[in-house]
Amino acid sequence: MSFNLKDILTPFTAWANVVKDPVTIKDPFTREAAPRYRGFHANDVQVCIGCGSCEAICENQAIDLVPIEGVEGIETKDGDSGLRPSVDYGRCCWCALCVDICTTDSLRLTNAYTWVDTDADNFIFTPGVDKKEWDDKQEGWRKPQDGYEFYGKERVHMEEMHSPERIDPKDSFVEFIKGYSKEQAQQEADRCVSCGICTATCPAHMGIPEYIKAIRNDDMEEGMRVLYETNPLPEICGRICTHKCEDVCSVGFKDGSDALSIRWLKRYIADQIPADTNQYKDMLGTGDIAKNDKKIAFIGSGPASLSAAYYLALLGYNCTIFEKLPEAGGMMRYGIPSYRLPYDQINKDVDYIVSLGVEMKYNVNIGTDITLEQLNTDFDAVYAGTGLHLGRSTRIPGSEHANVYQSVDLLRDIVTGAEVPVEKKVVVIGGGNVAMDITRSMARLQMEKYGEVNVIATSLEDEEHMPADREEVVEAREENCEINPGYGPQEVVLKDGKVVGLKVWKCLSIFDETGAFNPKYDESDERIFEGDMVIESIGQGMDLSYLSEEIKTKIEFGPRGRIVVNEDWQAKGLPWLFIGGDIIEGPDVIHGIANGHRGAMAIDQFLNQGR
Amino acid sequence: MINKFLGFKPDEKLLPHKTVTADTEIDLSSHKYQKIWLGPNHPGVTGNMAVELTVQGNTIMRAKTHVGYLHRGFEKLIERRLFVQGFPTSIRMCVAEPDTNEYFIARATEELSGYADAVPDYANWLRMLSLEMARLQGLLRGVPGQGGTFALGIGVQWGVYLRDLILDRFEELTGARVYHMYIIAGGVRGNLPAGFKARMEDNLRDIDDFIIKIKKLMFDNSVFKTRAKGLAVITPDMVDKFGIVGTNARCCGVKRDVRKDNPYLFYEKLDFDPPTATDGDVYSRTWIRWQELIQTVDLIRQIMAKMPEKGDIRCQMPNVLNWKIPKGETYVRLESGRGEMGMYYVTDGSDKPRRINLRGPSYNHAISVLEHMLIGVDVADVHAIMVSLQTCPPEIER
Amino acid sequence: MKELIEKLNSKYDLQEIVYQRDNLAFTAIRKENAIDAITYLRDYEEFTHLVMMSCVDWIEDGKFQLLYLLNSPEKKCDIGIKVYIDRENPEMFSAHHLWKSVWTYQRELKEFYGIDFPGSPRVNDDFVVEGWEEIPFMRRDFDTHEYAEKTYFPRGNRKTNDPAEYMRKKLYPNQPVTAKQRKDDK
Repeated sequence: MSFNLKDILTPFTAWANVVKDPVTIKDPFTREAAPRYRGFHANDVQVCIGCGSCEAICENQAIDLVPIEGVEGIETKDGDSGLRPSVDYGRCCWCALCVDICTTDSLRLTNAYTWVDTDADNFIFTPGVDKKEWDDKQEGWRKPQDGYEFYGKERVHMEEMHSPERIDPKDSFVEFIKGYSKEQAQQEADRCVSCGICTATCPAHMGIPEYIKAIRNDDMEEGMRVLYETNPLPEICGRICTHKCEDVCSVGFKDGSDALSIRWLKRYIADQIPADTNQYKDMLGTGDIAKNDKKIAFIGSGPASLSAAYYLALLGYNCTIFEKLPEAGGMMRYGIPSYRLPYDQINKDVDYIVSLGVEMKYNVNIGTDITLEQLNTDFDAVYAGTGLHLGRSTRIPGSEHANVYQSVDLLRDIVTGAEVPVEKKVVVIGGGNVAMDITRSMARLQMEKYGEVNVIATSLEDEEHMPADREEVVEAREENCEINPGYGPQEVVLKDGKVVGLKVWKCLSIFDETGAFNPKYDESDERIFEGDMVIESIGQGMDLSYLSEEIKTKIEFGPRGRIVVNEDWQAKGLPWLFIGGDIIEGPDVIHGIANGHRGAMAIDQFLNQGR
Repeated sequence: MINKFLGFKPDEKLLPHKTVTADTEIDLSSHKYQKIWLGPNHPGVTGNMAVELTVQGNTIMRAKTHVGYLHRGFEKLIERRLFVQGFPTSIRMCVAEPDTNEYFIARATEELSGYADAVPDYANWLRMLSLEMARLQGLLRGVPGQGGTFALGIGVQWGVYLRDLILDRFEELTGARVYHMYIIAGGVRGNLPAGFKARMEDNLRDIDDFIIKIKKLMFDNSVFKTRAKGLAVITPDMVDKFGIVGTNARCCGVKRDVRKDNPYLFYEKLDFDPPTATDGDVYSRTWIRWQELIQTVDLIRQIMAKMPEKGDIRCQMPNVLNWKIPKGETYVRLESGRGEMGMYYVTDGSDKPRRINLRGPSYNHAISVLEHMLIGVDVADVHAIMVSLQTCPPEIER
Repeated sequence: MKELIEKLNSKYDLQEIVYQRDNLAFTAIRKENAIDAITYLRDYEEFTHLVMMSCVDWIEDGKFQLLYLLNSPEKKCDIGIKVYIDRENPEMFSAHHLWKSVWTYQRELKEFYGIDFPGSPRVNDDFVVEGWEEIPFMRRDFDTHEYAEKTYFPRGNRKTNDPAEYMRKKLYPNQPVTAKQRKDDK
């Protein structure tokens, strides 16, 4: 082997480094990491809602959800589980997937990266609760932007008919929300992070994540089984539920993110099953129920009674429902217009309940046809879910005029087919959902009769505080109804004995300092809404005429005339009388279904006490 | 030469076999042979692996590779994880260039779920940037590391310093230095930070200097030449027989480069030609890697010049917690610094993969090739051969 | 690619053919034809590079699926040859004579899945786990988590809560709504 002199000398050029400055960092412990560095966790616990998505996505099972005691602002309430993530640094790999999926953007990783401790157990800590020196550090990993989303932010658009098509006089009460297709429903269901925070807020505590999962798996029968566990009226609820769940949905927590469309998904499941009671029974395993000898009477056939009767029928009780009106459903049929809730959908839910052996007796008026005392002797227990069917009057001057109506009465008349007076110009007082219902129903009737809409709705509350659902207001305006919130009615203006309008003043505030109802007006801002008829829709009261004087002395009445019940929904003083529905909670369908279910459980317990 | 100078004439009969082959008979009871273990903990061994050597004098008669010191069952663990959860585990299967495994999982899941074309261009350019940076930092350790095996430590120190500068850039871009967890199904996890290109260019200029310096230090070095030339020759007929890939195949003139043969990402838009050599020995392998170092620096410059200024970093994909992929299978591959790497990915319609199997170049290089090559060489050259084959045990054990 | 697969089909009666990409196809071949077909592909169709051997456990079908992934450096395309073998007493013909790297894969498959390759050199040597006494660990019925719990020492200082269940206990403890909750509470 020959040696080349050049090859021996050239490597010595490395000696040039002797005169160069060293490149070593003198003090590596204070070296600041890059602004995006994934270091230790920090959590804004006041923003965090404890949804547990971080736990679900953690590939190392490093995150636990732990209860937090003694930190102000953290408690278990609607929309907040009261739990917060705690991280085990024995398992964490600092991948920051927990940050990327965080539904509230409260969790982040700071760029701090040195932590020395002698006790290994200290490395399990709850960021934000256990104070750390890096808590205030702003640099570090946060969820990336620019199209980086772990779940869909936007709700799948719901197809619907638009005005004027939906108020076309030929079929103006047609249902205008078309429902999701399979692809749409699965796409929407895919957005769910299955945290379950909605379950606590839902009055019926439905298994929402489970039935959404059934949609993803395209298993409608499983979906129906989950629905019927807690809600025997899925078709109805899937259309008109007040969806409190969507208000707390963690997916919709961030600005720019839409809550999951839980209500429409529920409707989607129910819509996929044809109206065949035998199929329902097969699916839900209710074909063969052993009957017992106990009998229960229900007053009214609204959601509370139907729900209670369903769950009691499943337990083998003989249920009989007494209904004053010719068909079942109560307020759902006689209060909600069919463009929101078609009658065949009510029938679909009710028919299945009837098929389980629940007896329906229509056109029976308790108190006159049969007394409550008689029911007590004939049945083992009585359940009263009689609802709010009496309209409340504003009692302003002129309100006793014949052309001033109550919305509940008109809505009922529309359903029963009684003659409904429709004038050319209508003024509605009220800003709730019922007011919107009558406003939009009148608009449709006006279209049928006159070919044009001329309805004005006004409410005390201003635009932001109207109790009606936002979409109701928007849709009413699409249908050419005029919504004029923020005015207090003062007088029904009469001319020559006829109604010509409603005088209103601008409303400044509704409640006084003590929180009592005491509206203040700006009298200078006076307007007159022209109209030939005025409809009052400012709330409803209950009709307790079926209670005899003797029974009234035995039970107690609380504030606003409500019957006092114990936690088992028994009327105080009369253990055989159970109360449910809008007259104790609500008013809405889902509360009725929920307390019907609970009432059923309480009745079951009450009747089984001897055993 | 020294023997001749001293007039030393050894008795040829007492010396070990002159030509040792795999068939040479070994009688361990003859007391002429000795078994020694190199590793699993030895500074000269690449990672934690052991080579069981049967030696006669200094000459190796037999070699057996033992792995298992790093086995944690990653493939099995990933089978129990959601599709999005797999990538932080997968990167542990290859410490030297972890980005490759992130790419495999992302690419395979995208392909099997039909999102392969939905990934934004910007994200694909960033993927390519991070993969080339990974190659660069691997070469900065690997090229001078070859000198290190011949006790030329100073080049390693230069290389590791420059590698740390690249890790600084990784830290800026991805949020971590070694395990980047950057490439995710649908795209990447961060855009290019402001001023990144200028800082990268500074580092690349330092590396340009280093490339010249390391040439003078190693390749114009008579000691290195003497030790490395003619050592552990790979011949072209071995390439397919042993499944040799990457620079180890190119060192004997077999031009295999996935970037050219099965182009992925935007490699077709880049101008480069993989270097080859003809000798097939340790020297030419190192020489190719040195040329590849020049090329990688150039590729990073090209990528930074050609990539768009901004864009989406990830396409909209299904909710990661509910993501299911229909039944299917695929194989994705890329050219890592050590050659063809790939992943066989099987899904069964559930929300977790059925099977993933990583194909690392070391699987063949460190077992069948290494065991074959060590026969007949000097014990002192074992480290040099291992480093020149770029063996990496975690990708064997997975 | 398509032509080649058709040719292969006429020769060996392929069981399933999937064109995954332009340059990648997977096909299943009967066990007795597999080595023959692989040799044919290597010697006559330029599939000279064995990329990898792998195995998938289809436990529900009672099958192991072996994979021989072949690459043609000339044609620049890949064929995955799949062979289904019985999960009970799994055994496959050895291919160690075709490539030097095969015996390592076969040794791995023997240890990871318990598939035997009679005649393959060193096939019974330990590969990555020495002294393993459980069932082969890559099989689907081996539970890694259970094994870890049994073998190592969990510190036992962790406890987590499900948000929905925790909120129920906290906000409406006396109202178990579903049958399951009523059962749990009892």
